[in-house]
Amino acid sequence: MIREVAIVGVGWSGFRPITPDLSYKELMYEAAVQAYEEAGIDPRRDVDSFVTVAEDYNEGTSIFDEYVPDQLGALHRPVQTISGEGIHGLAAAVMQILTGQFDVVVVEGHSKASNILTLPYILAFAFDPVFNRPLAVHPYYVAGMEMLRYQVESGTSHYECACVAAKNRNNALLNPLAGYGAAISAADVMASEPVAEPLTRLECAGHSDGCITLVLAAGETARALTDTPVWVRGIGWANDTPWLESRPWGEARYAQAAAEMVYRTAGIKSPRAEIDFAEIDDTFAYKELQHLEALNLCPPGAAGEWTAAGGTEIGGEFPVNPSGGALGQGHLLDATGLARVLEVVLQLRGQAGQRQIETAEVGLAFGWRGVPTTGGAAVILSN
Amino acid sequence: MSLLHRIEHPRDALAWEGDMPTLGRYTAGIAGEKFFRAIQEHGQFLGTVCPICEIVYVPPRLYCEQCFEHLDEWIEISPIGWVHTFTLVHLDLDGNPLPEPLPLAFIQLDGADGGLVHFLDEIDPEQIFVGMPVEAVFKDPAERKGSILDIAYFRPV
Ligand SMILES: [Zn+2]
Repeated sequence: MIREVAIVGVGWSGFRPITPDLSYKELMYEAAVQAYEEAGIDPRRDVDSFVTVAEDYNEGTSIFDEYVPDQLGALHRPVQTISGEGIHGLAAAVMQILTGQFDVVVVEGHSKASNILTLPYILAFAFDPVFNRPLAVHPYYVAGMEMLRYQVESGTSHYECACVAAKNRNNALLNPLAGYGAAISAADVMASEPVAEPLTRLECAGHSDGCITLVLAAGETARALTDTPVWVRGIGWANDTPWLESRPWGEARYAQAAAEMVYRTAGIKSPRAEIDFAEIDDTFAYKELQHLEALNLCPPGAAGEWTAAGGTEIGGEFPVNPSGGALGQGHLLDATGLARVLEVVLQLRGQAGQRQIETAEVGLAFGWRGVPTTGGAAVILSN
Repeated sequence: MSLLHRIEHPRDALAWEGDMPTLGRYTAGIAGEKFFRAIQEHGQFLGTVCPICEIVYVPPRLYCEQCFEHLDEWIEISPIGWVHTFTLVHLDLDGNPLPEPLPLAFIQLDGADGGLVHFLDEIDPEQIFVGMPVEAVFKDPAERKGSILDIAYFRPV
């Protein structure tokens, strides 16, 4: 990249399935204060620009972007809200620093999912209003159909998909931030109630409330602010066709395209050899496997076997979602990808406690916007 | 400085309920209009062709999403296809169990590069398989409204 960019401060609030005590503004304030204190900055003086990610329908407020400046310390400053995945917001912040016009930029994403009383209806409302929405079916049907096609094309068994959920829920037991930790087996996962066959309840991430705030700084500023900057090596994002009628169903082409860009910008030729671990969208268990293959971290069709053999466990050859992922932490709506980034940062700083990976030098985070979308974004970080 | 006070009892945590008023119109568009009129009036599927990419779009579009050319070649598409993938849905939109699992499929239509997402019926859900040949069953002409629901469902051929 044409200018060095580092993450110099992280803050979070949550993550918990419900937060009846805190408004979304207080969740944001709590995470922001922590990030600013860690970075040793005063937002009223030192931050040049703020980027947040949010969807009006998730917030229950139209023109929601107008409601973010006060709790971030962003009054009278450049502020923008992106309706995208958290890592799309990170990409926007990185680009602002790359322009040379901004040295310190803050990224924020949050979830107050527990306040959305009709979440499946909101998701169903994201479907094409003419061709798909009239069917009025629970939106996870798209995940069930994708999962089956992925299994058919890749030869992945249901057991191998269930291993992802078991691994991530067990990893979450080691993560104080995670609300969905459980000592469960793949057999437990497969035996849970069907949601949209073959997908079962324990293969779908529950939801959490929470907020993540990151402070980014340009090279020299970053070195002045901290001894442990986490460097942004590359960033990439892409969409596939939005049409259910034209998409490939078995493959995550948005992830393949985002991967090409993130590896190109990071100068990575052999991802599996040059990256030590990854935090990858696992909104549904099969998604972790499909994304691993699309991100070229294992050969096509090999992710299931690799996972079932323990290769992606914390002590395995290539740990995936040591944080517990969305299955273990709960899905954080638009902030889910930032939770993936947060874990990569904590691992690269050696602050991941019981779940610390020993040789964590380069990590990848990948976020997906969930059903019915085909949008994904990736970032590569190093210490 | 962070939050110094916490609400310590759920009874003290206030919240207000409200809904989002969203009533709108969704224009079918030139391509959508032709597609739905053909279903409504003739029980027929139409698609558009990109001669450059050799892609047949169903539902039809006026542009190719691969090469971005304008498309103006229209063809009739068979109401017969096969199950590319399917699912049995067990929950309604409120998250409650459905009385019977609901079969949905992506039906790849013969002679098209795309297909349609729709219900399957007239089959035991346990008998559905990927690759199963199916055909569209249209509603009675008098009941059709120019909607995707003018297709009642797909059934095995
Ligand atoms: Zn074309």
